[in-house]
Amino acid sequence: MLGYRKRIETDLQAWESKGWIDADGARAIRGDLATRSTGIGMAPVLAVLGAVLLATGAMTFVAAHWNDMPRVARLALLIGSLWAAYGVSGWLSMRGHPYFAEAANLLAGALFGVNIMLIGQMYHLSGSLPAAMLTWTAGVALAAVLLRSNTSLALAIVLAGAWSIIRTGETEGIHWAYLPVWAALFAAVTLTTRWRPAYHLLALSLSIWVVSAGSLVEGPDRHEYAVLAGLAVIAAAWFGRDWIDRVIAASRPAICYGLAVAFAGLYAMQFLDLGIYGANLWYAANGMPLWMLAAATLALVLGALGLGAVAGNQPLTWLAYVGFSLELVTLYFRTLGTLLDTSIFFLLAGVLVIALAWLAWHLRQRQLHQGGTA
Amino acid sequence: MRFPVIKNAWLALAVVAAAQSAVLGYMIYDRASLLRAGREVVLPVVPVDPRSLFQGDYVILGYDISRLKTTLTEATPQMAPGKPVFVTLSKGADGTWAQSAFGFEMPPALKPEDAVLQGRIAYAWLDGGVINISASYGIEQYFVEEGTGKEIEEQVRDRKIAVLLAVDASGRAAIKALMADGEIRYREPLL
Repeated sequence: MLGYRKRIETDLQAWESKGWIDADGARAIRGDLATRSTGIGMAPVLAVLGAVLLATGAMTFVAAHWNDMPRVARLALLIGSLWAAYGVSGWLSMRGHPYFAEAANLLAGALFGVNIMLIGQMYHLSGSLPAAMLTWTAGVALAAVLLRSNTSLALAIVLAGAWSIIRTGETEGIHWAYLPVWAALFAAVTLTTRWRPAYHLLALSLSIWVVSAGSLVEGPDRHEYAVLAGLAVIAAAWFGRDWIDRVIAASRPAICYGLAVAFAGLYAMQFLDLGIYGANLWYAANGMPLWMLAAATLALVLGALGLGAVAGNQPLTWLAYVGFSLELVTLYFRTLGTLLDTSIFFLLAGVLVIALAWLAWHLRQRQLHQGGTA
Repeated sequence: MRFPVIKNAWLALAVVAAAQSAVLGYMIYDRASLLRAGREVVLPVVPVDPRSLFQGDYVILGYDISRLKTTLTEATPQMAPGKPVFVTLSKGADGTWAQSAFGFEMPPALKPEDAVLQGRIAYAWLDGGVINISASYGIEQYFVEEGTGKEIEEQVRDRKIAVLLAVDASGRAAIKALMADGEIRYREPLL
C-alpha cells in the first residue's frame, strides 16, 4: 500500500505538470487514497505471534508431564483455558477489536489440540496420532465456520496438511482421504469469509499433495501425473479466465500454482526420481532422456514468462525466473551424458532464448507502434 | 450462498467451546470406561530402544505379540499396513498371558478364560514362505514425567516389567498399570 502510494504520487506530479489532470483532481485522488485502509498493521500480527507462543507454552506444559499437579487438575486447567480463550475472543470482538479476537480464536483452536494431546498422554494412547490430528482439524474447522474466523480457517488447513503428512508416513501410499477433507475445507472458506490467504494455503497444500503423490504410487515414481495436472490447471485457468474471474478473481494465481506443480513434477523427474534407469544418470526414472525433459522444462518456464508478460501477471514472471534458475543450477551439476553434451545443450538453449528475446522486442515494437497510431 | 451467521456471537462461541469440550469429554469417557469395565490381562514387556517425543518423555513398550509369524497359505489375506490382526491370549500358570492363536478376523468362538486383542499391521514381510508381521495395539507408549523414564527403561531391559491391560469385547486395550516383579507399580487413575 505504501509502495503504491509512493508510485502514484510520482505519477500524479508528472500528470499534473503535463496538464492531464488539474490540481483539484490530484487532490481528490490523494484524499481518496488517504481514506483507504492501510492494511492490518503491526499490533494484530504481534497478537497472533503472542497466541502462537502461548499455545507452544501450553503444549510443552503437557510434554513436561508435571506429576506434582494431579492430572485431573491439569486437564481442568487446559479445558478451562480453552473456554477462557473463547471468552476473551468474545469480549474482544464486543469491544471492537476483531483482529485481536482472531488471535484469541487461534489460541483456542491450538488449545483444543493441546487437550487432545494431554488425553492421549493420560491414557498412554499410542499409534493414534493421525486420528488425533483429524479430530483436531475437525474441531478447528467447526470453530472457523461458526465464528467466521480467518485464523481458525488457516489453522484447520495447516492441521489437515499435517494430518495427511503423518498418515502418509505411516502407510506409504497415496493418501486419497485427504481430498474430501480438502474439499470440505475449501467449502468452509467459500461459504464463510472467502479470505484470500486461506485460498492460497489450500492451493499450496493441494499442490504439495499432487507433487508428492507422484513418488507415493506403487513401483517407480510417476511425477508425469503432476506435470499433466499442472499443465491442465494452467490451460483451464488461462482459457477459462473470464468465466473463473466472474465468480472469484482466481485465474491468475491458479496459473502460478499450475506452473509450480508442473515445474516441480518435471524437476522431480529429472533430478529426484529413482527407477530402473536410476544408475544411468542421463535418463530419468521412466526412461526418458534427460535432455528432452530439460528442454521441456525450459519451454515451460519460457512459456510462463511469455504468459506473465502478456497477462501482466507479475508473480508468474517471478516464479518463472526462479524455476529457470533452479533448472539451470541443477542441470549444471548433473550433466547430460558428458560435459560436452551439457555444453552443447546450454549453448543451443542460449542461442534459442536470445532469438526469443529478439522476437519479443519486435513484437513489442509493433504493439507500441499500433498503440500510437490507433 | 454463504453459511448463515449465528446472530448472537456469545452463543456461537459457547457452541464451539461446548462442542470441542464434548469431543474431549467423549475421548476421556471412552478411555475411562474401557479401563473400568475392560477384562484384565497381564502381558510381559520386552525391551525396545527407548525414545522421547512430542507429548513428553515416554517409554516404548514392546511385546512378544508385537512380532507375529505365520506361514503363507492360499487363505492368507493381503498384508497392508493398517489392516487388523486379532491375537488370542491365554493365561499361563505364572499369571502372565501369552499368545495362543492369531488370525485376521475376530475369532468366532472364544474360550471364556481367554481374551482377544485387536491390533493393526504396521508392516509385514515375506521370508521363505513365512510371513513376519510387525503389529501394534495402541499400548506401545507409556508417558512418564520428564526425566523419570530411565528407571522404567532399565527394568524393561531387565525383563521385569509387565503391563496390566483392560481389554474390551471388541479387542481394544488400555494400559491400566505397570507391574514389576508381579506387583503393581504405577496404577493409572481413571481420570
